[in-house]
Amino acid sequence: MKRKFLSIVAAIVMAFPLLAQAAPVKIGFINSITGKEAQIGENLTNGAAMAIEDLKAKGIQVELVKEDDGGDPKNALAAYEKLVTRDGVIGVVGPYTSGCANVVASRADQYNVPLLVPAAAKEEITMKGYKNVFRLNAPANVYSMVLMDAVKTFKPKTIAYVYAATDFGVSTVKTAQENALKMGLKEVANEKYQQGQPDYRPSLSKVKAANPDLVFLVSYDADAILLMRQAKEIGLTPKAFLGAGAGYTTAQFAQQTEISNLVVSATQWTDDVNWTGAADFAIRYKAKYAKEPSYHAACAYEAMRIMVETAVKSGTAAKLQVALKAGSWSGIMGPVKFANYGGFTNQNNHPMLVQQIQNGKYETVYPVQFSKKKLVYPFKR
Amino acid sequence: MLFLQSLLSGILTGGVYALAGIGMSLVFGVMNISNFAHGDLMMLGMYLAYFAFTLLKIDPYLALLLIMPITFLFGFMLEKVFINRVINHPHQNQILLTIGLGLIMSNTALLAFTSDPKILTTTYSSSAFNSASGISVSVPLLLSFLITCAITAILYLFLSRTRTGMALRATSQNREAAQLMGINVAKMSAIAFGIGTALAATAGALIAPTYYIHPLAGHSFLLKAFTICVLGGLGSVVGAGVGGVIIGVVESMASTYISSDWKDVVVFMLFLAVLLFRPQGLFGKKGGQ
Amino acid sequence: MKKQLTIIAIVAAAAALLPIIIGENPYITGIMISMLMMAALASAWNILGGFAGQYSFGHAAYFGAGAYTTMIVLSRLNPNPLFGIVAGIIVACIIALVTGSIVFRLRGHYFGLASIAVAEIVRLSTLNFEFTGGAQGILLSDVSLWGIDLNSKNPFYYGMLLLLVVTLSITVWLGKSKTGYYLQAIREDQDAAASLGINLAFYKKKALLISAALTSVAGSLYAVYIRFIDTSAVLDLRLSIEIILTAIIGGVGTLWGPVIGALLLVPLAEVLRSNVLGDLLVKLGLVSETSGIGIFLKENLAHAHVLAYGIITVLCILYLPKGILGLFRRVK
Repeated sequence: MKRKFLSIVAAIVMAFPLLAQAAPVKIGFINSITGKEAQIGENLTNGAAMAIEDLKAKGIQVELVKEDDGGDPKNALAAYEKLVTRDGVIGVVGPYTSGCANVVASRADQYNVPLLVPAAAKEEITMKGYKNVFRLNAPANVYSMVLMDAVKTFKPKTIAYVYAATDFGVSTVKTAQENALKMGLKEVANEKYQQGQPDYRPSLSKVKAANPDLVFLVSYDADAILLMRQAKEIGLTPKAFLGAGAGYTTAQFAQQTEISNLVVSATQWTDDVNWTGAADFAIRYKAKYAKEPSYHAACAYEAMRIMVETAVKSGTAAKLQVALKAGSWSGIMGPVKFANYGGFTNQNNHPMLVQQIQNGKYETVYPVQFSKKKLVYPFKR
Repeated sequence: MLFLQSLLSGILTGGVYALAGIGMSLVFGVMNISNFAHGDLMMLGMYLAYFAFTLLKIDPYLALLLIMPITFLFGFMLEKVFINRVINHPHQNQILLTIGLGLIMSNTALLAFTSDPKILTTTYSSSAFNSASGISVSVPLLLSFLITCAITAILYLFLSRTRTGMALRATSQNREAAQLMGINVAKMSAIAFGIGTALAATAGALIAPTYYIHPLAGHSFLLKAFTICVLGGLGSVVGAGVGGVIIGVVESMASTYISSDWKDVVVFMLFLAVLLFRPQGLFGKKGGQ
Repeated sequence: MKKQLTIIAIVAAAAALLPIIIGENPYITGIMISMLMMAALASAWNILGGFAGQYSFGHAAYFGAGAYTTMIVLSRLNPNPLFGIVAGIIVACIIALVTGSIVFRLRGHYFGLASIAVAEIVRLSTLNFEFTGGAQGILLSDVSLWGIDLNSKNPFYYGMLLLLVVTLSITVWLGKSKTGYYLQAIREDQDAAASLGINLAFYKKKALLISAALTSVAGSLYAVYIRFIDTSAVLDLRLSIEIILTAIIGGVGTLWGPVIGALLLVPLAEVLRSNVLGDLLVKLGLVSETSGIGIFLKENLAHAHVLAYGIITVLCILYLPKGILGLFRRVK
C-alpha cells in the first residue's frame, strides 16, 4: 500500500515537469479585425492580448489562434470550424458582432467546443439552451433597464428615441419601450436613422418640437458625437440624455466636453467601479495602448482570462464545458458566474453600470453600491 | 418653423454634396468613367485636413490651399498610372478598377490610421447662429457652403474662359473630334481626373469639421455623388451644383415629413425617376449612352 | 452542345465524389460550398452579363430576395425549405420584372447605376420593414427536410453543385437557342439588333428572369445553410461586386470562366482571411515568430486581406482584362 502510494507520488513528481513542458492548450479567438466593426474589434484585440500577457507573467502558457470574421457570419462560421476541426482548440472566445455570435453559437453544440461570447448583446445568443455557449456581458435588454432605473426617482413623464438602424439599436429600443411602458413614460418621438449621415438636424428638430423629458440614444462611435453636436446647435435640451452603451461610452466622446457634459450612459464596465483590478487594468491599458480602455476591452480581457485559466485546468473541451458551467470567478468585471435564469442559459447575470460625464470624466452614478458620485439631474448646458 | 429649419440645413448640407458631385461629374463628362473611388478620395481630403489641423495647426478651411494642389497632383498621377490604361475598356472593367483602387486607398488608410474615428474639433465645430424665432444655422456648415459656391464659380469661369477649360469641355463633348482638332485628350483626361480628385478631397476637408474622419467615411457619399451628377446631367458643373442642393433638401424634407430611415429610399427613387423621365438630367447634354 | 454537356456531367460527377474522398472535414467542405455558391452566382450573372452584355451591379437584390423569402416562409408559414426556395424564385422574378422594366430602357453607365439604385432600394426597404426582421435579421435554429440532417454540410454541398450544374446547362442550352443568338446580337450592337426586329426589352428581360431565378436559389440555399441572415450579409453592394469580379476574373461570356473565377477567388479570400500564409512561414521556420517580420505577418497581415483583394482586382483588370480564360482563347 505504502509502496504503491510512493510510486504514485514519484510518478506524479516525475510527470510534473513533463506536464509543464507539454504543448500549451490552444484557444481560439474570433473577432472583427476588419470590416464595419473593426474599431470596436480593435478594443477587443487589445483587451485579449493584455489578458494573455498577464497570464504569461503568472506562468500560464497558452497558444492563441486568432481569426478575423470581418463582421460576416459566413466567415465567422468558417473561422469557428477551422479552429475546432483543424487547429484543435478546446475553447473559443468571440465573436464580437451579434450576427456572427448567433451563427457560431448555433453550431457550438454540434462540435462540443465551448464558446465564450465576450461582448455581443443580442438576447437570443444565450436563450436557445445551447450547452456550450457562455456569455460574459449583459444582453441588450439590460442597457435600457438600468438607465431607466437610474432616472426613475426623478419621475420623468415623456421620452423620445433617437437610434441607429442596426441590430443593437433596434433591439435596445424595443426593450426600452417595454420598460418605458412599465414606468408610465409617454413616447413622444421615435427617430430611427441610417448610420453615417452628415445631417441629423431634421430628426433632432422633430425631437425638440416634441419637448421630451428623456432622450434615449443608441449610436455608434462618432455618430454619437455628431448627434450631440447638432443637438447643441439646434438647442435640444431635455432633462436627461440617456445613451445606451457604444458611442456614448468612448473616451473620445467624453473629451468633447462642450457637448458631452452630463450625458448619462449605460455601460458594462467603468474604471472607477470597485471591482477587483478594474482601476489597475485601466492604468496599464492606457500605458500600453495610449488610450482609455472601453468596456469592450474589459469584457475581452476578462473573457480571455476566464477561458484560458479554466482551459489550462481542464485540458479537454468536454471538461472545459463542465468547468465553465460550475465555476465562479471574480475580477475586473466583478463576480462572474454562468447561470440559467429568466430564459437564459449559461448567462453571466452581469450588473450593468450607469455613468455620467462630469467635467470630462466618466463617473459611475448607479447602482449606488458601485458608485462614488451622484447623478446630476436635470441636464443643463 | 420646422419647415424652415429643415430647408436651411438641407441646403447647407447639400452644398457639400454638390462639391463631391461636381468632381465626379467632371470626370464622368471628360473621361466617360464612373469613378467608384470618389468616396475614398473624399476620405483622403478628410485625413489631410485633420493632419493639417493637428500637426501643422492650420485651420481646415485654410488648409484647402494646401490640400487642393496636393490632391490634384495625386489624381493626375492616378490617371497617368492606372485609369488611362482602361480608358477604352468596357465600363464594367473601369468600374472594377476604380473599386479596386478605392479598396487599396481605404485599407491602406485603415492600416496607417487604424479604424478609430478621428474628430476634428475646432472652436466653431458646434457653434451656430440662432435667430430669435429658434432657427439655428451651423457656423461651419455655412462656411463650407460659401466656400463651395466660390469654388463652383471659379471652376465655371475656368471651364468657360480659359484655353484648358475649353479644351476640357471639347473633350467632354466629343472625344474623337477633340483629338482631331489637336487637343491632347490624354492630358485633358489627367487634368480632369486631377480636378475631380481635388474637388472630392475639398468636399472631404470641408465636411471634416462637422463630420468624423474614418477610412471608410467616404462611402456614404459615393452613391449620393452619383445621384447628384445624374440629376444635374453628366458633365454639367452648374447642374451638379444645383443637383447637390436638391438632394440635400430632399433628404432633409424626407426625414422631417416622412421618416429619417426612409430618406435614402426617397433619394434613390428620385434618381430612378430622373433616369427614366429625363435621362439627360436637369442641365445635361444628350444622355442615355 | 453535346460535348459541352458531357464535360459538365463528367466534372459534376468528379465533384460529387469529392466529399466522399476528403471525408468528414467541415472546414474544407464549408469552403467548397462557398466556392460552388460563388461559381453558381457568377455563372447565373454571366447569363445576363455574358450573353446580353447587360452588366448588372445589383444582383445582391435577387440573392437577398431568395434568402429573405425562404427564411420568412420557413419561420412563419411552412417548415419545408423547398416551399421557401420556390417562393424565393417567385419574389426574385417579380423584383426582376419591375427592375427590368425600369433599367432596360437605359444603357451603358446608366444601366449599371440604375441596377445599384434598385438593389439599394430593396436593401433599405428590407432594413426598414418589420416583417423582414428589419435590422435584427432573421435567425432560425433548426431546419430539416425529409428527415435529412441539415446540420451537416453535405446536403448543401450537393445542393449548390446541382444548382451550378443546372446553371451551366442552361448556359449551354441558351448558347445554341434562338434566345441566345438574339441576346448575343443585343450585346454586339443594340441598335442593329433592334433594326433586325429583335424585341430588345423582351429578350433582355428573359435573360434577367433566368439569371435572377438562379441567383435567388443560391440565396435560399445560403440562408438555410447559415440559418441567420441580415441585410449586410445577403443584400450588400459588396456581394454584387464580388459576383461580377468573379465572372470577370474568370472570363465573361465563357462557359467555364465564372467557375474558374470562383475556384480561384474563394480559396484566395479564405487564405488571406485566415492568414494561412503568415502561419505557414512561421511554422516552416522561415520567419521567427518574435522577429519584426513575424509579428508583422501575424498581426498586420490580418488587417491587410481586403487590401490584398484590392491589389488583386487592380492587377487583374490591368493585365487580365478578358479574364483567365481570355488568356487561352479569344473571347467572342
